Amino acid sequence: MTLSSIIVWVLFASLPLFPFVSWAMGRWYQSRLMNALSEKEKLEGGSLQNENHLSTASSTALMSAQASALLHVSICVGPSMGQIFFMWFKSLVGGRLRSYEVVLEYGRREVLFRLREQAKALGCTSIHNVRLETSVISFAQNQDSKRSSVELLAFATGLIH
Amino acid sequence: MSNVETIPGKSITRSLGLVTGSTVRAKHLGKDIFAGLKNLVGGELKQYTDLLNESRNEALQRMMMQAHGMGANGIVNIRFATSSVAAGASELFCYGTAVVVE
Repeated sequence: MTLSSIIVWVLFASLPLFPFVSWAMGRWYQSRLMNALSEKEKLEGGSLQNENHLSTASSTALMSAQASALLHVSICVGPSMGQIFFMWFKSLVGGRLRSYEVVLEYGRREVLFRLREQAKALGCTSIHNVRLETSVISFAQNQDSKRSSVELLAFATGLIH
Repeated sequence: MSNVETIPGKSITRSLGLVTGSTVRAKHLGKDIFAGLKNLVGGELKQYTDLLNESRNEALQRMMMQAHGMGANGIVNIRFATSSVAAGASELFCYGTAVVVE
């Protein structure tokens, strides 16, 4: 047996393992992203988060502001292929889809973090009327594709006092 | 531009009605291949994020152009919407009310 044929056989034999590998890689990578985000949030401190500086109300304290800016941030997130594969099994019995929960929670926290970053870059002191939207992006070729992505959008008005 | 009912710190003198802006964007094949690789681990798909941001800015530009054409100098109550119109393409849409402020 030549070396190339051995390689081909190894690749072929490892094909059934692919969902497991992708699942494990997804879990590992996403928990790393989550930890990095937690670190960033800790570093940021409470500079914009405290005392109602981030709110979904549209009327409070608007009149005293000198200027405003429209802020919008979006992020595209998705679970890994392996996770999607196992989700299919999970959907036979129903219940919580933990992989999706993790991914969406990460995305939403990240998008709010970036919104605060953008506000800070523009010199805003508070963020009002925050709206969060979720939409499914079908960039994949068909419905049965092992690819899935969700767009999370946040938009708000930043006020400069 | 703001997504609340007023433009903070300014007063609205006249309302000129609805303005809209939209773009339909398809994926870029090269970027899609990279995004496919990224799908091995999941998490953020940076290529799509960039693509959508770029398109959303374009939609905003178009809305601003329309408002400018009407003689407005501000847009209030802006809302964004995203929808998948076809496989491989999605529409980014934004709308608001054009106003004259002083």
